Amino acid sequence: MKKLFSLLLAVLLLLTITGCGSGSEPSSNGATSTSEKETVTLWTGGSENVKNTWIKLAEEFNTNSEYKDKYIFKVEHISSGTGATSLLDRLIAQYKANEENDIYDIVEVSSTEYVTYMQEAGKDIFMILDKSKIPNYSHMTAKMSQGEDQLVPYRGTTVVLAYDSEAIPNPPKTAEELYQWIRENPGKFAYNTPGSGGAGQSFMVTSVYNLMPEEAMTSSDEKWKEEWDKGFDLMKELHPYLYKSGGKVVYPHKNQGALDLLINKQIVMTPAWVDMIISQINQGTMPDTIKMTQLKPGFTGELANLAIPASSKKADAAHAVLDFVLSDAAQTILLDGMGAFPVVDMSGIDSKNAEMLSSFKIEDFRAAEIGSLRSELVQKWDEEIATLE
Amino acid sequence: MENNKFKNILPYLMVLPSLLITVLFVMYPILNSVIRSFKVSGGSGFTFDNYIYFFTNEIMVKNITYTIFVAFMTVIFTILVAYPFAIYVRFGESKISKFLYNLILIPRFIPGMVAVYAIKQVIGDAGLISRIGALFGMDIQLGFMYTEKGIIYTNLWFNIPFAVLIIGSALSGISKYNLEAAKDVGASNLTIFNKIILPLSYRDSLVAATFVFMSNVGAFTTPYLIGGNSPKMLGVVLNDIFSVYRNYENAAALSVIMFLICSISAGAYIYTNMKRNKWESV
Repeated sequence: MKKLFSLLLAVLLLLTITGCGSGSEPSSNGATSTSEKETVTLWTGGSENVKNTWIKLAEEFNTNSEYKDKYIFKVEHISSGTGATSLLDRLIAQYKANEENDIYDIVEVSSTEYVTYMQEAGKDIFMILDKSKIPNYSHMTAKMSQGEDQLVPYRGTTVVLAYDSEAIPNPPKTAEELYQWIRENPGKFAYNTPGSGGAGQSFMVTSVYNLMPEEAMTSSDEKWKEEWDKGFDLMKELHPYLYKSGGKVVYPHKNQGALDLLINKQIVMTPAWVDMIISQINQGTMPDTIKMTQLKPGFTGELANLAIPASSKKADAAHAVLDFVLSDAAQTILLDGMGAFPVVDMSGIDSKNAEMLSSFKIEDFRAAEIGSLRSELVQKWDEEIATLE
Repeated sequence: MENNKFKNILPYLMVLPSLLITVLFVMYPILNSVIRSFKVSGGSGFTFDNYIYFFTNEIMVKNITYTIFVAFMTVIFTILVAYPFAIYVRFGESKISKFLYNLILIPRFIPGMVAVYAIKQVIGDAGLISRIGALFGMDIQLGFMYTEKGIIYTNLWFNIPFAVLIIGSALSGISKYNLEAAKDVGASNLTIFNKIILPLSYRDSLVAATFVFMSNVGAFTTPYLIGGNSPKMLGVVLNDIFSVYRNYENAAALSVIMFLICSISAGAYIYTNMKRNKWESV
């Protein structure tokens, strides 16, 4: 009896090991049975709201009469820790190893990531787009500083100044006015640590680059590092006037950390992502007395773009998706679902969120395309500003 | 004959899965990190620079001592609270002590992230305590947020129940009749503690202490959400170096350093386990 039992146990153990290997087979068989239609796969990253909105877009695409008989659009969310590092790393690794690729046909690329792709892999990593296959491209209003032949922007987002309109009826209009306001109202402003979220990072980047020539914003040239110190002196000077806890100036972690302080009325102003504010006001987790404004010169924004990797074998299907994403229907889903800034003319878009965005113009979006200098900037901040008493 | 052969290899077969997992997912990554930590950042070749950086850079030295300080203080406070508490819930006869023993299980069922946010809602500058104070016209600011005090406080929330469970299980091995017998021959409570309870439970307290220490050296969630901007605990620094600065060689060196810090306490654990008294092994 005992022998039988131990034998059974051993078999069971073996089964659990081999079981993992065989378990995935049926599903892959299932996929090939519908292969008359071409499956086109998008790799995207980012937060939960990005993922959910893409799922909605895919549903729309797959039921759209124009596409549903020809293609199946599949979205794969590549989760990552901070930022979209792992998606970028995987792509570059695949490109450098020159491996065969039939798992992804479209990837999400932010305008800042594009610079990194160009630095680390080179232009050949993406396909040159055939604009004649993307008729909706002509409605596009977003301006791009580089990669126009390889990228299709599909949504914009920007950091704005969020403020409590009950406490501040007249918010600052320029960056200089904001700095002066911070000095006059100690303890009422905070920005999150640049390493933990884009809103605080944008405050840092603009503080430094506002004091530098304009072309520096779109350059990853090492020579600009010499001019960083002026901006750091400004941040050091502002440091004692920022939000204090327990008598010490602190920088909250994560974008949400700064927003929590604003919601709790511990501060009355902070840089924040426009889409985070819209979705939180809609969900009711943020009072609608919180308003947004953009400074001059503004905080930085970003275009999220799509690109087709040169290794993709389904160029036609991928182009069809790019065209779909620029349609009014898709842009409305994006604005509804995540407060994404439309990249096309807003006249064809009917969304309750449109009003909240009406004071901003996508043409004014400012992007900091400084490539790998960005992480050096964050490191310098951690060493020089975070350590201040 | 055949049957015998199978019997001989059966134990190995049963060990195989866990051995494979250990080798593939523990030994190999550790080895990989150690090798990587001696590589030149972004290039190839052998270097000690990655380690020299952590022991010469002023900020990094502060981060290391800060981490050891926080982990050490957590251990001390945890044991100070958990040990008497475990004795109380084990030997206490009242309903309260039984209730408390069940209560300490609850934190084990709450996800870490949820707990940290909940604690933040209580001790934060606009948290529950401060708001209750405001109701009575008082301005109560604990000053816990963004400091080591907040991290240690949150760590206690996680670690005291854990330590009570370990120490409590050791104490449950002590028979109440022994204590009663000692009392019958006139031993005072202090003598009972010194001669019976302490010798039979100090080892498990040390085990609890080493586990608490190790888990706090590598802690991330609590210091990330509650801790300040500088100095930082090593778990947060590791995240910065790995996913923000993306210097993988430095990150590897830091992991090895954290591993070494933990092995000191692991060494203490193994030592106390080896050094068994004669009368205990019976």
